[in-house]
Amino acid sequence: MKRFLVSSAALAVTMWAVPAFAAEKLIISSWGGSWKELIEQTVAKKFKADTGADVEFVTGGTIDRLNKAKLAKGNPESDVTFTTSHVGWLYANDGLYETLDMAKIPNAKALVEQAKISPYHIGSWAYVYTIVYRPDLVPAGIKFDSWADLWKPELKGKLSAPDFDTSHLVAVAAKLEGAEAADWKKGSAKLVALKPNFKAYYANDAASQQLMQNGEAPVQVMLSMNAYYIASQGVNVKVAIPKEGAVLGVDTVGIMKGSKNVELAYKFVNTLLDPEVQKEIATVKKGSPVVTNAKLDPEVAKLPGIFTTPEQWDKESLVIDHKLRAEKTGEWRQWFTENVIN
Amino acid sequence: MLVRPSLCQVDPLDNPAPALSADVRRRPFFGLFTVPAVVVAIVFTIAMAAILQYSVRAQIPGSLEVGGFTFTNLTAMLRPLYARVFADTVWLCLLTAVISLVLGYPLAYALVRSTNLTVKSFILIVTVTPLFLGEVVRTYSWIVVLGNNGFVNSVLLKTGIIAEPLQLLFTVTGVTIALVHVTLPVVVVMLAAAISHIDPDYEKAAESLGAGPFRTFLTVTLPLSGPGIVAGLTTAFAWTFSAFATPQLVGGGKVNMVSNLVYQLGFANFNFPFAAALCVAGLLLTYLSIFVMRLVLRPMEKIGVH
Repeated sequence: MKRFLVSSAALAVTMWAVPAFAAEKLIISSWGGSWKELIEQTVAKKFKADTGADVEFVTGGTIDRLNKAKLAKGNPESDVTFTTSHVGWLYANDGLYETLDMAKIPNAKALVEQAKISPYHIGSWAYVYTIVYRPDLVPAGIKFDSWADLWKPELKGKLSAPDFDTSHLVAVAAKLEGAEAADWKKGSAKLVALKPNFKAYYANDAASQQLMQNGEAPVQVMLSMNAYYIASQGVNVKVAIPKEGAVLGVDTVGIMKGSKNVELAYKFVNTLLDPEVQKEIATVKKGSPVVTNAKLDPEVAKLPGIFTTPEQWDKESLVIDHKLRAEKTGEWRQWFTENVIN
Repeated sequence: MLVRPSLCQVDPLDNPAPALSADVRRRPFFGLFTVPAVVVAIVFTIAMAAILQYSVRAQIPGSLEVGGFTFTNLTAMLRPLYARVFADTVWLCLLTAVISLVLGYPLAYALVRSTNLTVKSFILIVTVTPLFLGEVVRTYSWIVVLGNNGFVNSVLLKTGIIAEPLQLLFTVTGVTIALVHVTLPVVVVMLAAAISHIDPDYEKAAESLGAGPFRTFLTVTLPLSGPGIVAGLTTAFAWTFSAFATPQLVGGGKVNMVSNLVYQLGFANFNFPFAAALCVAGLLLTYLSIFVMRLVLRPMEKIGVH
């Protein structure tokens, strides 16, 4: 046992000390867990096969990674960063991203409009935050054709929504009052009126899934991908797309300013937008591809919240301006905490 | 529990110079061995200073950079919501500390005084095992136990004691139960240490003078375990003040403590300056509360010096 430990320690030291084996190495910053696996098994796999370069990951939460990137400004730890569309704006505003040269990303020609977030970051896949419910645990006959249905008194003490991002409900309430997210105050009375229906607020994806699974909060403003995941685990959930549209979320990719592997990074981003890779991502995570030329299996394409046609992108999605969201998330969140949660 | 200064330290007033050199001679590596502690202390001081300076800077929406000097963060804390979260936190900490003490004392007493090895081992294993599980694991198990379809409600519903499930999750009651579970092992260990320092001869003396077991406990054992009670209470209080995962998960956003607010403001609102200001206020409040507790409990601590 001891010898085994010594030799494995020696091996570990050698492996750490001789990284020059790999020809070239691209470092990707992403979330851990299933997200890292997703990137690893789809885009990174193809990228490695195409270029011969190696891929390494640094993983962490959205804000942890943003903070680390800020501290390493100019000499980034990673070459390519995955993050949400609005936090991507925080990277951009702090000068952490390269301006993208679209000529070096030929696959981006097929990029949908909604995924062109900024000159610095573009969509990698999309999902929706929408109404997800357990048909067995809500009053019989209730339907979610409109976001307004969430306000029904029969749903008292059944609802949950994320407490880390309240922009979905803020934008929805504004829309129901005929205003845009920028004029969110018009929906504030409506938001307060939703208070009795809340059972709890969830702080992360795992908590959301658990609340749905154990039936504590059978109606949720929930990430579509999470809903499809627990459905695959045998939980009876339905994903509704209200007529006002489901709130679009786009995860994005950007190239770090100061990266020493810019050319390779462009190749990686281009591989990410390859129609086949986009199809694989959509199939694994049940999200929308961000290019128009990805051919999804009909079984996947028909799922609510997966957009494959321009009409779906236009009619079924409710888009909150990403830059506005980056600037306002804090204010909305604070207002929501002070007036709805407490 | 109490350190008797005269035994451990050389009194500097008593022949200072030779005492110091004798001290150095006796502990030649003292200086060398304190280096890591000094380094850690410096790092912590720098981190605290960073938080302190963040707490008086302005937030720039849409950026993580902070703006100029401002007192807005400090005045914003006076808003009713924040004042209430501070008050709730202190209340939850007190409640947790007192319940942990009440539940922990009999356990600690039995642990120390039981002559049956099986009973001793059982209590030790039951109390200490939770320390080996992470806070998150323990908290998740409480979600399973306290939920509407959880263990407690299922049993109560099936036995017909209640008709509607009790709302335990996302309430102060639920959070307190889970917090007590987190704090209890520490309190039991501290109390056991204090009780084991009580010379059983005192109790025998009381009994020989005619006191019954109940009276002996109330007038001899309990007062003598005063230092342990004070240490247990203050540790449980401070320990609970920094609780994060438990109120976050069991509270479901409806029961918030200061640490949860700090997290929400920093990580969801990107308002690091305000989060830092809350950290500073939370730290000061902990010091203040512990100071007040010590003041109130001082007589008790004195009785226990034996």
